This record gives sequence, structure tokens and C-alpha cells, in this order.
Amino acid sequence: MITRIPLRQINMRDIRFCLSYPLHDEKLLASIGKLGIIEPIILLEPAPFTVVTGFKRLVAAKRLGLKEVPAVTQALSEKQALLLAVHDNMHRGLNIVEKAHTIERMVTQGFSRDEFDTVMGLFSLSPHEKVSTQLISIASSENFLKDFIIGQGLSLKNIEYLLRLSKDERKGIIKAFTSMRTTESYIREILEMLLLMKIKTGRFPYRTVGRAESAGELRLKLKKRLYPGLLSLEKKLEKEKAALGLPPAIDIKVDPFFEKEYIDITIRVKSGQEAEGLLQKLNEVLKKGHIGNILELTKGRIR
Amino acid sequence: MSLPKVEFVEAMGSVVRDCPGTKHHICCGYKTIDLIEGCPLSCSYCIMQAYLNAPHIKATEDVSHILDQVDQAIDQEPRHIVRFGTGELSDSLALDRRLDLNRHLVDYFGRKRKALLELKSKWASIDHLASSLNPYTVISFSVSPERLIQAEEKRTSPLHKRLKAAKMTQDLGSFVGIHLDPVVIYDGFEKDYRYLIDDIGRILNPEKIIWISLGLLRFPPKLYDHFLEKERKNLLYGEFIRGEDGKYRYIKNERIRVYRSLYKQLKALHNNLFIYLCMERSDVWREVTGIDVHDNEALITLFDRRIRDLYGGGL
Repeated sequence: MITRIPLRQINMRDIRFCLSYPLHDEKLLASIGKLGIIEPIILLEPAPFTVVTGFKRLVAAKRLGLKEVPAVTQALSEKQALLLAVHDNMHRGLNIVEKAHTIERMVTQGFSRDEFDTVMGLFSLSPHEKVSTQLISIASSENFLKDFIIGQGLSLKNIEYLLRLSKDERKGIIKAFTSMRTTESYIREILEMLLLMKIKTGRFPYRTVGRAESAGELRLKLKKRLYPGLLSLEKKLEKEKAALGLPPAIDIKVDPFFEKEYIDITIRVKSGQEAEGLLQKLNEVLKKGHIGNILELTKGRIR
Repeated sequence: MSLPKVEFVEAMGSVVRDCPGTKHHICCGYKTIDLIEGCPLSCSYCIMQAYLNAPHIKATEDVSHILDQVDQAIDQEPRHIVRFGTGELSDSLALDRRLDLNRHLVDYFGRKRKALLELKSKWASIDHLASSLNPYTVISFSVSPERLIQAEEKRTSPLHKRLKAAKMTQDLGSFVGIHLDPVVIYDGFEKDYRYLIDDIGRILNPEKIIWISLGLLRFPPKLYDHFLEKERKNLLYGEFIRGEDGKYRYIKNERIRVYRSLYKQLKALHNNLFIYLCMERSDVWREVTGIDVHDNEALITLFDRRIRDLYGGGL
């Protein structure tokens, strides 16, 4: 039965059944401001009541200064209450942090392996122990990490990399990422390089991370330190290419890792006459031996 | 070494397969016999760390099924001397004293006299095979500097024991193989490998070493992730790139530099040593050895020649 319960009778500090993240929702705030709370909140008896579902609605109600909310009070076991919260939230599609909260709460309340695997299946997550361990780490991590995960729609791989860093290191790189325009693959590449650098040098490059103005700049700085050989070959290639003075219609492509023994030369033409001219130009370049210099880079003879 | 649980399984389908070579890299045409799957030695760089997480080791006892397939494989390859090995999905000797699986194969190859069996190991235990050994079985040891063994091959036999077992094999009249694979670039590796090669030259008779392989560390992306997770500093020390086969390898000019140095030091032990590069590109072969090995067939031909030189018309 739906009744109106005063907010002061609700214990909002008990978050045993809270799965939602973040709790602040501007759209919901506006909607409640206009229409009030339509879906009643489910509370666990006795008073002061524990919230089972409706944390976001309660936060909005509090922000709007409401004194009471429509609610249904029930007498449930802790497990029943958590299952109710899970199923109540399931229809809206949980984000990864909310899934993590669910798994963490289930572990805390001693759910069986089967119950646990069923929920992991409902979340389209592998029931592998490594995944559940990672989710538990997410649930107990700092809010700035949770916000970043949701804001970027971060993949589990990138979350895993972030969790391997210390709290301060995470804070540093998240602050940097937040001020840059990044993509999932850029984040992954940078995090992978940071982890590698930590293993190699035993230190996290706070200064490099803090001073970088763009993801591209940060990536390049890390690459310089981790891949000096590759970078040196790239520089030599650029120098050789510049020395060729080829028109833009002729392109020379070298394997990015200088592994392949061959290079690709492409010529873009619109007419036979144009082709003739470009081939003549290419021939001149070949005679000067510049192409040979580029091929030398792919043979592993130059460092 | 604590004894792991071993499950005996029926041999299903093909247990004799071509060594899974990779694109654009020269493969020696070795054939693998999947006698055991899973390894108790758990070396930190092993491919099995990333792929095989079965709770226990599986062994095949169905010898006649295996030997039928070996027979077929030999008959299907009349142009070459086929080399077989059991060390692809496990260590050939680590469990053999307990399981005694190799003896049947050793006896078979001794009777057949048409192909070679290579038992490749990091476990120095061959006493139990001593009475069965014949020239058609090559006992091979993968060797690394002791520092690397202690850090990355913790459950294996120490270097001196492996070399002692190799010496014992030579004394029993068999050839031995030596595999410097994976060669790992870590802080101070050059000095360590110099000492390792000195030890090989001091302890073994180079004329009774049938082949030496060199293979710098390479691994699939999944293992790279594993190294990052486990913070394997030694294994991540060098500068890696992604090869054309998708595996991580040291950058080519560094590979050539290291291979050249090792090749030169090994050749200095005995100029007739047969040294090959495991899964390398043809241009690296040329830069390191001066030999034109443009495809798998060319390397297999080098092996044939080496074996004929040592065995005469016996094979």
C-alpha cells in the first residue's frame, strides 16, 4: 500500500541496497520538480526506514526541499531486499559502476555462486573470477574514478589499467585526461605506456603527465622514453623522405615498425601524361639512391 | 618440484602436427607430438601462462595411436628427414621419470631409423632413459643464464644441472641440442649470455651438439598483458614492436645486433656448429649468418644436410 512517509523517517545513510551511480540526476530533478514523485519508493521496515529502491528520487526530493515522499514499506530479508533492488533497476540498463555496486553488495551479503553467476549473465558479463574481482575494485574505488569511467564510457580493459595504478597516480592521469580530448584507444595506449614505464623505471612520470597539453603530446613524450629506437628510425625516415622532394602524388609507405623488408610506393594519377611525369621524377630519385637509404632502414642495419 | 595432478586421456584426432609457425617468419618444419598438454615448470614467459589454464596436466597413453600417426607423417615426407618433438605443449622430461611415456617413442625411433625424435627440456633428468637411448633421439636442453632461470624459470633445473645432463647424454653416445630460446634482453644480459656460452663450450663436446637454436623473446598480445599485470621487469626491459604475425618482438635492429653477437660467440666455440634462428625473418637470417634462407624449405634443407653430415647414410 502506498503511503506518504516523511523524509526524516528515512535513513538515507544506509546504502546497503544502493546500486545507482551517480545519485545526482538533473533530468530527474526537473521532472520531480514539475510532476512530483510518480513511482513510489520501496522502504524496508521498521522505521527509521532503510531505502531499497529510489535513492536518486530521494536525493532529488531532498534537493527540492520536499518533506515527504510516496513509498511502499515492506518487511524483507536483506537478500530479498537486494534482489528487489537489482530487478527494479535492471530494466533501465545499469552502467558499469552500478553493475559493480550490485556485485559488491551481493558478495557482502553472501549470495551463492549460482545466484551470482545469474546476475553476471543478466549484466552480459563473463562469470570469470577476474571480472568479478575487478567489479568489486570499481565499487570500492574513489568517486573521481567512477565519474571518469561513466563520463568516458570506459572499457573494462582501460578500467583494469587504471586500477593497477595507485590512487595518486590515477588522480594525476584522470585529471590530465579530463582536460584533453581523448578516445578509448588513445587512453588505452597511454595507460599501457604508463604501466610499462612504471615497471621499467619504478616511477610514475607525474611531471610528464601533468604538463602535457594534449593526448597526442603525452603519447609522444611517453613514446620517446619507451621506444627510442623506433622513434629514431621514424625521424631518419622523415629526413630521407624530405630529402626526396617528391610531389604529393607520390607516396612512400614504410611498415610502422620497420619489420617488413619492402616499402610501398604509390603514385596517384589522373592521366597518362601525369603518370609519365611522376615516373620520370621517381626515376631521378632512384638514381640518386635515396630510395635505397629508406630501404636500409627496414633492414635493421641502422640504429 | 611438487607433483602435479595428471589426467590420462584418450588420444583424439591428430596428435602429430606441424609446428605452428607464423606468417613471414622462417619455420624449421618440425613436427610436434602432443604427448602431454600442460607443464609443471610454469616459466613466466611461457605461452601456456596465457592460454592453458586447465586445472591439471593431460597425458596420452595411447602409444599405438601416436606411433601410427608418426609413421604416416614420416611416409608422407620422403624428401626430408622429419624431426619430431614433444616439447611444444609441455616439457619433454619434467614428468617423464614418473610417467615413463617417452621410452616407447625412443624405442620406436631407434627401430625406425628414418627420422629423429627431439626431447626438449629444462628439467635435468635423463637417468631413467639412459638404457633406452639411441642415436635417433636427440636430448635437448633449453638454457638461459642462471640469473634469468632464478627469476623467470623458478621451477626448472639450474643451468649447471642441465649442462651436466647434456654432457651425460653425449657420453651415452647421443647427440644433444641446445636451445637459447627465449633469449631475453635485460639489464646486464650480454655478460650473462657470454658466461652461458663459455659454460656450454667448457662442459659440452661441440662435435656432439647437433644443433643450437637462437630465439629472442617473442609473445602474443595476451602474454604482453600478462607481463604487465605481473610486472615482469626482465621480460619487458627491451624495446618491443608488433611483428607481422601480431606477436611482440624486439625491434629488428636490436634483434640483429644480439643475434650477431651470440652467433659469433657460439661459432667461436666450434666453427662447424649448426646454429639456426627460430621463427625469424629471412632478412634477419641474412644479416646475422650471411646465409640466404628465404623460406621454410630452405631451412629444412639445411637441417637435412646437417643430419646427413652427422649420420651419414644412416638416415
